[in-house]
Amino acid sequence: MGSPSPPPPLGLASVLPPKEAEEKKEKKVDYLNLPCPVPFEEIQREALMSLKPELFEGLRFDFTKGLNHKFSLSHSVFMGSMELPSQSSDTLKVPTAHYEFGANYLDPKLMLVGRILTDGRLNARVKCDLTDNLTMKINAQLTNEPHYSQGMFNFDYKGKDYRAQFQIGNNAFYGANYIQSVTPHLSLGSEVFWLGHQRKSGIGFAARYNTDKMVATGQIASTGIVALSYVQKVSEKVSLASDFMYNHMTRDVTSSFGYDYILRQCRLRGKLDSNGVVAAYLEERLNMGVNFILSAEIDHRKKDYKFGFGMTVGE
Amino acid sequence: MASRVSSKGKGSKGRSRRGKCVKEWSTWAMKKAKVVAHYGFIPLIIVLGMNSTPKPHPFQLVNPV
Repeated sequence: MGSPSPPPPLGLASVLPPKEAEEKKEKKVDYLNLPCPVPFEEIQREALMSLKPELFEGLRFDFTKGLNHKFSLSHSVFMGSMELPSQSSDTLKVPTAHYEFGANYLDPKLMLVGRILTDGRLNARVKCDLTDNLTMKINAQLTNEPHYSQGMFNFDYKGKDYRAQFQIGNNAFYGANYIQSVTPHLSLGSEVFWLGHQRKSGIGFAARYNTDKMVATGQIASTGIVALSYVQKVSEKVSLASDFMYNHMTRDVTSSFGYDYILRQCRLRGKLDSNGVVAAYLEERLNMGVNFILSAEIDHRKKDYKFGFGMTVGE
Repeated sequence: MASRVSSKGKGSKGRSRRGKCVKEWSTWAMKKAKVVAHYGFIPLIIVLGMNSTPKPHPFQLVNPV
């Protein structure tokens, strides 16, 4: 005497595939087979990509020439104003013009990127896969002036559903972070760092919840910073992002809201800030390999207006 | 008296002097490494790139097209 069989389907229901059965079937979570989480420093990458494009003021021209599929050279010219950080509410702008020569070598196991400016500053990035799971990254900015150079060594280990990273920097900076997938959508991580010369240390925690359509992250650090972000992918071409940051030491609160349209010929990003800043960044593909860039940033509170235009040739 | 002075020198001053020596040499090594990296990083990338396959022609380094 089992359960009575369901009534036979009538009319259209007999033609259409049974939908209810598929919806009610829950996928059982396999906690031993969780996906690998994103690296700790990229936990907010969707929000950063949408809300923080590289805004600039002036003229920018980038030319990348590929010699073969592993090696390329780049030439970059910039003429415009660069903003210097200033304590007062006035913005301090310095007109600068520089030419930057760069060389890239990309191998599956080794990546070398170097950029040198006319004033002698070198930006170097090295990424080397020591084994399948262990990666070493070096990031350095070397200058001609003494005591202004910076360098950082990172060792990343990628496990099955976790990632661990150890950092050593100049000025006796040591840091470590760890992130673990807890469910198929949620990953939790934490980081610690220690500054040798100033005897300062800090600890921070982060959480990231993502599905196909949205990403929500939260970060809190002992330096008194709380950062939350939320990105919603409204459609294939449109995503909306919002961001909230609170600094307990300076009692600074900033919240921003932005959009990111990825269309066939262009990518348009715009954002609105609680500091009264409105910004937009457009990259339009004019031709194969030729991109036209427009950047605009209006700070209504400080009355600072920045407009830039540029062109990128090459991949 | 000479033996006393020499033994005292090896005890306290020897250890701190060796530590200072190591620190001086490591600072000297870091300074030289920084100069080597500053001048040699971009040439290193170019040498590695010119030796990768398919081997590009040296003229392509300066040709803007």
